[in-house]
Amino acid sequence: MKSIQNNKIFIDSSEYIYRVAHLTLEGTCSLDHGPKNVFIKNLYVDKYPVTNQQFLNFIKSTGYKPADPQRFLAHNPNKIKNNYPVVCVSQHDAMQYAKWVGGRLPTDEEWQYIAAGPNYLEWPWGDIFDPLVCNHDQGALTPVNAHKKGASWCGCEDLSGNTWEWTSGIYDDGEHKFALLRGGSFFYAQDHWHVGGGARKNNYHWKLQILNEGMNRASTLGFRCVYDV
Amino acid sequence: MMYKNKKVKNKIISLSSRDLLFAIDYEKKINLDKLFDLNSKYNFLKNKNNDLLKIKIENEIISNSFLRIENVIDQTKNKFKFIALDFSYLFKKDIFKGRVSIIQKKENIIDIIFQLAGKWNNEIPKKTTLIFPFLCNLNNHKNFLKPGHVINGKKSIKKSVWNFHEYPPAIITNNSKNVAVGIEFFDQFPWQSNYNLGMHEAFLKDDFDHYESEVQLNTELSDVITMRLYTSSKGKNEIFHLWKENTRSRYDLRKYFRPKNTWIKKNYITHFTFAYGKEIFDYKKTKLNIKKIIKDGKEFGGYDSLIFWHQYPRLGLDSTNQWDLYKYLPEELNSIKKIVEICHRNGIKFFIPFKPWDVRSNESLDYHAKSLEHFITKTNIDGFFLDTMSSLPESFLKIQKKFPSFEFASEGTPKEQRQIEQLTSSWDQIGDIRRNYKVEVEANMFRFVFPEHPLNLVSRWSVGSDKDSIIKRAAFNGTGLVIWQDVFGCWLPFSKKQKKVINQLKYVLKKFHNIIFGSNSTPLIDTLSAGLICNEFSNNSNQKIFAIYNFTKKNISGPFVKIESKINIKIQQVFGTNSSIQLKKIKKDQALYGTIKADDVVLVHIKY
Repeated sequence: MKSIQNNKIFIDSSEYIYRVAHLTLEGTCSLDHGPKNVFIKNLYVDKYPVTNQQFLNFIKSTGYKPADPQRFLAHNPNKIKNNYPVVCVSQHDAMQYAKWVGGRLPTDEEWQYIAAGPNYLEWPWGDIFDPLVCNHDQGALTPVNAHKKGASWCGCEDLSGNTWEWTSGIYDDGEHKFALLRGGSFFYAQDHWHVGGGARKNNYHWKLQILNEGMNRASTLGFRCVYDV
Repeated sequence: MMYKNKKVKNKIISLSSRDLLFAIDYEKKINLDKLFDLNSKYNFLKNKNNDLLKIKIENEIISNSFLRIENVIDQTKNKFKFIALDFSYLFKKDIFKGRVSIIQKKENIIDIIFQLAGKWNNEIPKKTTLIFPFLCNLNNHKNFLKPGHVINGKKSIKKSVWNFHEYPPAIITNNSKNVAVGIEFFDQFPWQSNYNLGMHEAFLKDDFDHYESEVQLNTELSDVITMRLYTSSKGKNEIFHLWKENTRSRYDLRKYFRPKNTWIKKNYITHFTFAYGKEIFDYKKTKLNIKKIIKDGKEFGGYDSLIFWHQYPRLGLDSTNQWDLYKYLPEELNSIKKIVEICHRNGIKFFIPFKPWDVRSNESLDYHAKSLEHFITKTNIDGFFLDTMSSLPESFLKIQKKFPSFEFASEGTPKEQRQIEQLTSSWDQIGDIRRNYKVEVEANMFRFVFPEHPLNLVSRWSVGSDKDSIIKRAAFNGTGLVIWQDVFGCWLPFSKKQKKVINQLKYVLKKFHNIIFGSNSTPLIDTLSAGLICNEFSNNSNQKIFAIYNFTKKNISGPFVKIESKINIKIQQVFGTNSSIQLKKIKKDQALYGTIKADDVVLVHIKY
């Protein structure tokens, strides 16, 4: 880690051992869950998830309109405070934003390294779960900077809890397409058949099976960007 | 005492039904003296010493011979036959009284009722258990057959599943004399405090000799154990039917015969339509492609219904509930309406699922019933699939009043009486998830007790030879299937060969529907060769279907099953590998004869 500029944090290139807990309720995801060595290139990462204000700026500047607007920004970001994370965006919407700011979505491996770091922490802030340093089961979104004590080793905040975050991959196993989500969210559903909610550990990814864009957007699902150096 | 005390010379009282003589000798103790078939004189008691009952207080057994006979009732000349013994005993400072009653209401059904009362010294109850030596003797009889078992050579083996709360009789047979007695511990309350259920479960275990039934005694006589005997001089198949008729007589099965929903009875092949896959979703056009599913289904003989599935595993990602999630499909509810229309044009019914685990704290089942009603109005769906459930919520019942053809089908087979009455179709789901589950070809007894209840067999994770076994199991039981190839993102397709066999099965189910779903079908009839089991399908017409399974690893040649000796019998194998089935005379009888391959099921149609 070298510096923080404009809420972007520099991450030194590094090799680390990637290992992820596969959790998709029933079924599998046809990916290599490690343990395996992965190489993370030098990059910058957003300190916070992308906010409503940032995303509205993007729309204002580019006139972005998704081809399929179903559920797009259905949380009505104009009425919600600016520094809340943007949600109800698909992976495609997130990618368009990232492109506009000169970045991209993090890969699944990069996200884990940003959260867990070289010491392989279980949670962004350490190895012990602490519901007070993240938005876990608080019933609603919170501002992206509301949990400073929950920052990861490199200074990134709001990684675990508040909103799920898109990663960059879109996978095709021949019969299905899916993407991987990270971090968990504020929403914590009641039953074991529900998507496991609340804040999630650094080594947890969720297999989101892709459908039409209306189904690919959710009121708990946002993103942050990384920037190649 | 309200009954007349009859003086009996030899201190024996007896009761005889059409087939059975039942006698109790109470001269020295209460001993079951006779239990034999009147026609063949076959005695079911192998010992003379058959204490009817022993009472154990804490660790001391009260000797049966110390019981004092207080009263003897013998009313056997009426149509309603009844004998009873009243007894009492003073044990230390505790006083007991009891009654053993034997009642015959129908010509081939006899009830044996044990009643006890206790007046405890200082009103502090003691642990009281009952032992039934005569039942141990019957249980050890060489021809004792537990329910759902078959005799294979010299051994009895289990070849069935029984997953609902009716408790079938164990049977003692003498096949050479063709006589059989069924022993049932009847009760409807499926809980461990139920004495009869405890007896039922213990009676079917090998260590029944050591079983002691714990009872709690009141000061007045109350039932502790009730046995029901079914008797037949036609053999064990009749026992099943006597029990079945007696059991079903309690049921209100009118819902199964609603004129508007007869379609569910022909719902042989249902497709589990997982939305998140290329089986239905066109990723290029980002639309559901129902026509592809319908076309693919032709290989299976055509789907009769679809269950559209997009809520799981997605619910819980945010607070969207199971109804609102439809709003996010490509054209919201219209996308469902459109695919329902296409399905209906192709003769396919359409189900959506209900998730009871997604009922939120601010939602009632009445809210879900209203949501469903709205959904039916908007989309014209045909049924509601009750995920993880084996019962129908009361709130949903009124839906069928407004939409008489609407059907509820559950993931689990209903288990209890009211649920069986209300819920008129379900899956026959087998297989523990990812636990090396082996699909067994065995009789599903529910299907034979309630043949009007359509079942669709499914074992979602089974692949390879287990998928073959699913098809064989469906053929053996004459049930439909669920075609579930996309298990929440795992693609587990049927092979071309398997599709062809399912196609053949559907043809048979359709063509011989009235026989296969006939009310006179019998599970696990006796076979003539070890290694074979057989279900007989019949609707009391001049036609039958025999489903025969070779459960061994070797081909079996020889006689399969006896059939009625009549002239002009036409036989035709309608399912399974060609087994060169023919009729052969075996002594006085006729039998189906041929060669059945190892692990194969054949269905043979017979017309008299």
